Amino acid sequence: MQHRDGLELLRSRVSMIGYAVAIVLSVLVFGFWQLQVVQKSHYADLAEKNRIKEIRLVAPRGKIYDRYHKILADNRPSYNIVFVRENSPHKVEETVAALANGLGMSAEELTQKIDRKKKDPPYQPITLKEDAGTGDVAYVMAHAYELPEVSVEFQPRRLYREGQVAAHALGYIGEVTEAQLRESPDLKPRDMVGVQGLELVYDAVLRGVDGSRHVVVNNSGREIETLPDEVKPTPGHDIYTTIDLDLQKAAEDLIGDQVGAAVVLDPRTGEILALVSKPSFDPNLFASGITSFDYKTLQDNPDHPFENRAIRSAQPPGSIFKIIEAAAALESNDITSLDHVYCSGSSNFYGRAFGCWVPKGHGNVDMYDAIVHSCDVYFYNLGNKLGIDKISQFASLAGLGRKTGVDLPGELGGLVPSQTWIQRVKRVKWSPIDTINVAIGQGMINVTPIQAAWAIGGLASGGRLKQPHLVDPGQLRMIGVDAPEVHSETYTVREDTVETVAKAMWGVVNDGGTATIARVDGFDVAGKTGTAQVVNKSAYKKGSDTEDHAWFVGFAPYRNPEIVVSVLIEHGGHGGVTAAPPAHAVLDMYYKKKTGHFNEGTAQKVASLMSQP
Amino acid sequence: MRLRDLWHDFDWTLFCAILVLSAISLIEIYSATKNSQFEQYAALKQLIWICIGIGLLFIVAALDYHIISEQIPWLYMAGIGVLVYTLALGRTVSGSKSWIVIGPMRLQPSELVKVIVIVAVARYLSELRNVRYLNLEQMIKAGLICGIPVALVAMQPDLGTTITFLPILGIGLLVRGIKPLTFVIMLICFVLALPVAWPFLGQHQRDRITNFVNPEKDLKGSGYQVNQSKIAIGSGGALGKGIFKGSQNQLEFLPTRHTDFILAVVGEEMGFAGVGLTLGLLGFILFRAINTAQTARDELGLFIVMGVFGIYFFHTLENVGMVIGFMPMTGIPLPFMSYGGSSIIAVFMAMGLVIGVRRRRYVN
Repeated sequence: MQHRDGLELLRSRVSMIGYAVAIVLSVLVFGFWQLQVVQKSHYADLAEKNRIKEIRLVAPRGKIYDRYHKILADNRPSYNIVFVRENSPHKVEETVAALANGLGMSAEELTQKIDRKKKDPPYQPITLKEDAGTGDVAYVMAHAYELPEVSVEFQPRRLYREGQVAAHALGYIGEVTEAQLRESPDLKPRDMVGVQGLELVYDAVLRGVDGSRHVVVNNSGREIETLPDEVKPTPGHDIYTTIDLDLQKAAEDLIGDQVGAAVVLDPRTGEILALVSKPSFDPNLFASGITSFDYKTLQDNPDHPFENRAIRSAQPPGSIFKIIEAAAALESNDITSLDHVYCSGSSNFYGRAFGCWVPKGHGNVDMYDAIVHSCDVYFYNLGNKLGIDKISQFASLAGLGRKTGVDLPGELGGLVPSQTWIQRVKRVKWSPIDTINVAIGQGMINVTPIQAAWAIGGLASGGRLKQPHLVDPGQLRMIGVDAPEVHSETYTVREDTVETVAKAMWGVVNDGGTATIARVDGFDVAGKTGTAQVVNKSAYKKGSDTEDHAWFVGFAPYRNPEIVVSVLIEHGGHGGVTAAPPAHAVLDMYYKKKTGHFNEGTAQKVASLMSQP
Repeated sequence: MRLRDLWHDFDWTLFCAILVLSAISLIEIYSATKNSQFEQYAALKQLIWICIGIGLLFIVAALDYHIISEQIPWLYMAGIGVLVYTLALGRTVSGSKSWIVIGPMRLQPSELVKVIVIVAVARYLSELRNVRYLNLEQMIKAGLICGIPVALVAMQPDLGTTITFLPILGIGLLVRGIKPLTFVIMLICFVLALPVAWPFLGQHQRDRITNFVNPEKDLKGSGYQVNQSKIAIGSGGALGKGIFKGSQNQLEFLPTRHTDFILAVVGEEMGFAGVGLTLGLLGFILFRAINTAQTARDELGLFIVMGVFGIYFFHTLENVGMVIGFMPMTGIPLPFMSYGGSSIIAVFMAMGLVIGVRRRRYVN
């Protein structure tokens, strides 16, 4: 009996344990219900991310060609070493430690690169090494098993075939910034976008659409199979610029190590045949991620190699402004070209003596002589008689003091002064003495090289101004880009006015004037030199900086010109000496190409001879 | 005829449950290892172990458990001897000296010793007749019977297996009777023992515990396995991805998937349905054990069955809890499911004990 009771007691305790089992099993089943039924899609998503790796197929950027389909900006194959934090079996420090030696980079450098992208989502690959060498690629491939989180990514990379040539026109590219990503929905992290020049302006045209490939990977990152949903990358559109590489090189070679700029335009169409700014830089440096050292060296260069002087160096035009003034005078009927002025070497206005650049004077000069020999006294008198209002009104019409609208970023508009301008900005009344200075292109007047070419070319074409451009909008419309027509404007200028100034400018080059160096046999070159006093003599480089800026603007043929060239050499001294030779080289090359006397072999020979000191 | 009796009294329902579990286990072990370089014959080996296990099950079930109980002193001594031998001359696998090699077989003696300890503890407890609550001396004696082999296993060191001995004692003491106050004091002592034991734990054991408390902390290191297991199970959904089609399994994201994490493979490839069936069968086995204990003829039978129940229950709770992150990670196999010869043999022999007790319930 006792025994029976004892067993009953034990059995009741066993029953209690039975309830515990029921509770525990219910909790476990509930756990599976939560995972498999309630949160199924969440975990299905995670499993897919585990399993499927997306490989970005980087679209090649559109190429950039010159007008004769010579390649300027090309693409070359390259490889990046990338690191994906998501699903990595290692801690970041372990990955870094394993890679540092193999990639020849310091652990700090790698950590820094990863830390910079810390806020990115973890599936976003982080580029550890751009444009990796074959050794790096081999190292990563060989360690694919141990380091599944690190992989090699193919990326077509920009190759600027001509190096520094036309760098300011082409610009360069760089990795997309966070601000750009916020603004533009079609940009993705790690995209390369235009930062300067044509690369920036036509970025949307040049940039392709990346494709993608999905691969199934196992836990060690080995690719098991490729899914059939591959999206091929769509390459960007190629762009054919108006640049003539031969003219571009000719101008660059002749400017050489000087600081300056040159612009070559076809005034009939606005096409830019060459656009030079010196010193230049190699945009290839940016293509593979410029090192901070290289960038700083360029940035700290006192001659500012990144500055596009062709559209941003606004300087007093010096005597090239006399052409605008002469035309203004002819158009106003206040003076005719027959009027004679006696130049004794200086002249007095409002109680101050103004000297001519030739101290002994030019004697009795008419407008033709005054332009050919650049007589200052003649233009003092002309300017004084015209007054600032008429001068500035015509200069504005002719295209000065405002942007040309070139398809490049950061253009400056220069300055044409007027009575209202000086009151608004400087809060003083215009003094007629200032007019005397402006009459010879000094003082409060600034012109960029592209404006000089545009305005003089426009005047010589009978008052027709075509918006300067590097890319023909018709070409863009053909590929479906909504590009406005080349802006075209016309101002009234009489035929005999154009004839008078053009003839005089022909004399500058062909009739013993200040720019005989620019003469090309058989091609009626007209031109005008200019020498602008450097007002602001900030002396970081004594000597050369106090030199005047040298200008030359020329076109050919002298009636109905096909080509206009402007050259600015900063601190270059007299325009006829330093600014005219590059213009001559361009005009000469142009004429030879036009008449079929040019082949590239001789061009190189000529260039190498001319660049010798 | 004893053989005819065995045929007649045998618990065929329970046996069928075990066969279905074994079938699921074989399918998923094959699925988990068919592409593996080192384990491609795991399913075949498991099949052989199961066959051996079934043979042992019938032998144990055929024997009268009183006879086994009578032989326990020398069986117990032999078990201790094997454990000492293992400690001295065993083979080290992943840090634990817990294997011995007999011909073509590799065995973990600690698993087999568990069966002996079950009977030894049951015999001691059943001989304490007419005791409502255990006194301290009895508890210490029972503790020593279990504690000596546990200490030897702990020295291997194999923490997971060490812990699995404790439910034999725990369930036995609970059923034999512990005063409620003593039970509370024991619980408090256990909780207080954790910080004391902390410095003695190895780094990866500490990692497992901290990781259990905070699973998001380290998904790369120690949290990786449980995280991958949850992804596998969750992504399986209601009906699973299909056998041989689980990406977490086939692409090897799941760790130790044919052993400790076999249920995650079931969850991924057979879904909630497959897990439900598996847990249902395991639950059936547990309740069948409880029922067997309640209908046992005597206290010895009851304690033997409850000892087996303790092992099954603890393994199930810990392993199933672990794969969904409800329990800290330990290397404890899932009964009848996880790959491993020693575990299978021990589990089948233990089942033989249960069936042996059950078939003698009506004998008077």
